[in-house]
Amino acid sequence: MKWKLILPFALLFSLGLTMTAFAHGARIEYTISMAVEILATYDTGEPMAGGQVTVYAPDDPSIPWLTGVCDEEGRFAFTPDTSKPGTWDVQVRQSGHGDMVHIPIGEDMAVSGGTGHTTLQIVLMGACIAWGFVGTALFFSRKPALSLPKGGPDAHS
Amino acid sequence: MHIPDGILPAAVSVAGYATTGAATWYSLRRINRKENPQESIPRASLLTAAFFVASWIHIPIPPTSVHLVLNGLLGAVLGYYAFPAILIGLFFQAVMFQHGGLTTLGVNATVMGVPALLAYHVFRLRNVVVRRGDPGDRPHQVWTGVFGFLAGSGGLGISALMALILLITTVPAHLDVEVERASVYALAVAHIPLMVLEGIFTALVVLFLQRVRPELLED
Repeated sequence: MKWKLILPFALLFSLGLTMTAFAHGARIEYTISMAVEILATYDTGEPMAGGQVTVYAPDDPSIPWLTGVCDEEGRFAFTPDTSKPGTWDVQVRQSGHGDMVHIPIGEDMAVSGGTGHTTLQIVLMGACIAWGFVGTALFFSRKPALSLPKGGPDAHS
Repeated sequence: MHIPDGILPAAVSVAGYATTGAATWYSLRRINRKENPQESIPRASLLTAAFFVASWIHIPIPPTSVHLVLNGLLGAVLGYYAFPAILIGLFFQAVMFQHGGLTTLGVNATVMGVPALLAYHVFRLRNVVVRRGDPGDRPHQVWTGVFGFLAGSGGLGISALMALILLITTVPAHLDVEVERASVYALAVAHIPLMVLEGIFTALVVLFLQRVRPELLED
């Protein structure tokens, strides 16, 4: 027997048996998932500490996808399922007050956003509305002799 | 105490619109019965402006803060004009600042407006207690102040109670019900000092009007 010929082949064969585990190629896949962090405050600036959070996914806006609680600073973070693109609604509620923010996830995404107005907007709007009420008061307190016949502007004599 | 959108179930919002519709119809009917309904519009309009701005005035009552409502004052001074005034004020607050909501406009108007009408009737009781002689005499002033205080504090108190009951009974099941209920209770209790404050403020305003221009008080 030519052992000198057969032994190396036998050795290689036995190694080949164990090699099946190392014969696969490697693959790496990646997906980008991101955390959405919300900050809930009252309009005085105080955080909604302990507020209850409800997240609704775009494919079923009536059944909560996730519920949770804000921390002491009014923050809450979650990772939306990016296989469900669309508008994610996040509602925060505490003692009967609350708000809902609509977050677009998918093709058109902003890096940040929120609800509410700036202080200047609020002051301007408030001033316009207050002037509306004051103007109404002034209109109706005009002297009746000249412009308002008895019974109101629609009465015909 | 303004209840925002998304908090109450749809059935409650619809019921709120129904009650507000009925109360508005009734208020307008009573207003129409006066000889000159337009005469009171200037002061109704100015008090609506005050109601509109009042919700920006926050009073910190630890651990939360509350804001002025003034529905008792509107009821005492305006009478039946108070309900449309509050409805209009709430509408602008909801549209401009999302304070309150449009779906909950009916509920909020009923919760704040109906106690305003009750405050009006409470304030009118002063005419039952003391006969209206010279408006400057002492007993008349005292009772005006007392019933002004009761109207101001009672209007806010009944509103807070109604809002409390509404919120506690409609917490959705997927939330932590006990935590939400506890925080609603805490907010309602925080309105008690505000009741005293608004009572005093209403008493001062009606006493002032009684002394300076008694015809401005709706009776």
